[in-house]
Amino acid sequence: MSEIYEQLSTAILEGDASKTPRLVNRGLKQGISPKELLDNGLIVGMDEVGVRFKRGDMFVPEVLMSADAMSAGMLILRPLLVASGAKLLGKIVMGTVKGDLHDIGKNLVSMMCEGAGFEIVNLGFNVEPDVFIKAIKEHQPAIVGMSAMLTTTMRAMGHTIKAIEEAGLRETVKVFVGGAPVDKEFADTIGADGYGSNAPGGAELAKQLVGAA
Amino acid sequence: MQRRKTNYLVNATPTFEVLSQDEIEAIYYSALTVLYETGVRVYAEEGIQLAYSGGAIIEDRTDDSALVKIPPWLVDKALATLPGKVVTRGPDRKYKMELYKDAITFGPGSDTPFTIDPYTGKRRRATYKDVKNFARLTQALPNLDFHMSLGIVQDSAVGTYDRWQYLAMLEGTTKPINITAVDLDGLKDQLEMAYIRVGGKDEWRKGPLFSLYIEPVSPLSHSEEVIQKLIFATDNEIPFVYTPCPLAGATAPTTLAGTAVQALTESLLGIVLSQLRKPGAPMIIGGLMSNMDMRTTVYCYGSPEMALLSAAYTQITKWLGVPMYETAGCSDSKMFDEQAAMEASMNIATAALVGGNMIHDVGYLEQGLTSSPDMMVASNEIISMVKRILKGIPVTDETKALDVIDNVGPGGHYLDHDHTYNRFKTEIWRPDLIDRQVWENWESAGSKTFRDRVHDRVVEILEAEEEPLLDENMYKELRRVCELADERHKSEELDYNMFG
Repeated sequence: MSEIYEQLSTAILEGDASKTPRLVNRGLKQGISPKELLDNGLIVGMDEVGVRFKRGDMFVPEVLMSADAMSAGMLILRPLLVASGAKLLGKIVMGTVKGDLHDIGKNLVSMMCEGAGFEIVNLGFNVEPDVFIKAIKEHQPAIVGMSAMLTTTMRAMGHTIKAIEEAGLRETVKVFVGGAPVDKEFADTIGADGYGSNAPGGAELAKQLVGAA
Repeated sequence: MQRRKTNYLVNATPTFEVLSQDEIEAIYYSALTVLYETGVRVYAEEGIQLAYSGGAIIEDRTDDSALVKIPPWLVDKALATLPGKVVTRGPDRKYKMELYKDAITFGPGSDTPFTIDPYTGKRRRATYKDVKNFARLTQALPNLDFHMSLGIVQDSAVGTYDRWQYLAMLEGTTKPINITAVDLDGLKDQLEMAYIRVGGKDEWRKGPLFSLYIEPVSPLSHSEEVIQKLIFATDNEIPFVYTPCPLAGATAPTTLAGTAVQALTESLLGIVLSQLRKPGAPMIIGGLMSNMDMRTTVYCYGSPEMALLSAAYTQITKWLGVPMYETAGCSDSKMFDEQAAMEASMNIATAALVGGNMIHDVGYLEQGLTSSPDMMVASNEIISMVKRILKGIPVTDETKALDVIDNVGPGGHYLDHDHTYNRFKTEIWRPDLIDRQVWENWESAGSKTFRDRVHDRVVEILEAEEEPLLDENMYKELRRVCELADERHKSEELDYNMFG
């Protein structure tokens, strides 16, 4: 049994998105519960990825490969976990705000969060406040993430938070923001719950916001 | 009389190349393949129609965009009318930025959210006063030929900060400026301000007061705002910079040749649209290309890849016959320190040696997020030093000085020779802030480091008393444009102060 856990965490560490689902299926066949496969295999692998990344032994493209492998495993496990009533990390609705076409940072954070076990609803870029609100209603996320690369579009983050408030949904979600010109002070000013200065830190922050770190 | 043997070649300056002629052509023809086969996404109906009318293929339409594919012949046609020389002039008409093959000019970068306070040394959001001060520094530094803001004015309304930023720069410098605009309306207002400053459109046409910065988003995306600015600039004889900022490994291939191909594809779309709109419209292409640091995910401004890619791209622009928006004088360091000086020296030397034209971003720290007056003053000295290297070593009978050597002979000296007296000032570079004192004198002058001396100069420039560059009426007229813009855009602002 411990052999499959080790194989799983190694597959995650090596970023092997074809081997991971095979191992997950093998584990399930052996009668191991989805929760145990997640906790003792996948998450152990992702935690080690985090340690190595912080230490400088792993780099972003390698971390993303691991996140891909994690997602491939979760694709099988998530419905089983939901059915068994296990507590999951929940959804994050992500978008680059209205007027802004800069996509890469937000996508990077999305991939990192997905790797940490969140489910991501990616709204893309140039996202109107209404579209955020519609997505919150539809997906009931734990967190809303917003990105902006320009000071003028940073303003749209403020407008979006206000719109979420006016829709009566502010209490249902945590909001975190990021982007090159954004800082903690600004995040506080517009009433966001969190600010991430870089993509790798985003996943950590998301976990903190839902009380899982 | 100068006598030379036959087949004698002269290197009037040092030469520096990254790519061979064949490699330049390989990158160019690959960009044509991407433009024709992959295509670029354009988010503006006006731009899509313009491309279509010229012969482009339009596919994959969405609500707000289309995939635009440009056949190679259309690029050839555009390049045939693209000017090889672009000139802007300051309000003081003696200041010119003349861009053409191998002509180098230097200037700062634009729009950093943060700046280093010259008195506290702390990083904070940039204000109107900072932007004015940076313009005053450019005015005072002889090796800076054009100006860019080095800060976003963040103590004004957010949606109209560009007009205030332009006003702050006009208060500080009479050199040519490369502006940014929040949107089309911001560009129109700044053009109106420029007409006021220079005395009307006819005077503008004798030498535009500013060029405009336009940035398509990599990979291969051209927003509505970008296309609107391009068309307005083209119609109104505003030279503009069309520069993508691809990030190798993230928004472009991690291989530098692939990044260059993609950047060129992005710039060529701008060239095709501008020349379709108005053959002969002046533009400058970039180019601001670097790699993503794969530990921190930041855009590197001090990396060797940034300098190398910019130099390679400069060679491509020389081959195309279009001025280049080069990048140098910038660093990833958080303060003006040894890393900043080292990175700036590397990229300034590389950009100048290869013959980059509009070499910008002098004064940038922290991946372009923070500006530093000290970095600017230090870069001015680095540029001065590099300019000496660019002068090379002329080899003539007179400079070889055989008669002087013979005249002095073994054991003599040259210090009081006429040849020395007549030539040492032009032959040997004299530093300004670099220290060469003997130990005792350096110590008695306060044991100041390069950093200290640079900072002293910053303070000296900022505290110098000057006559205002704008008379009261002119200032009022310019300010009125800003205030009217604030009034028009009031409803877009948040109902609280964004930056505390």
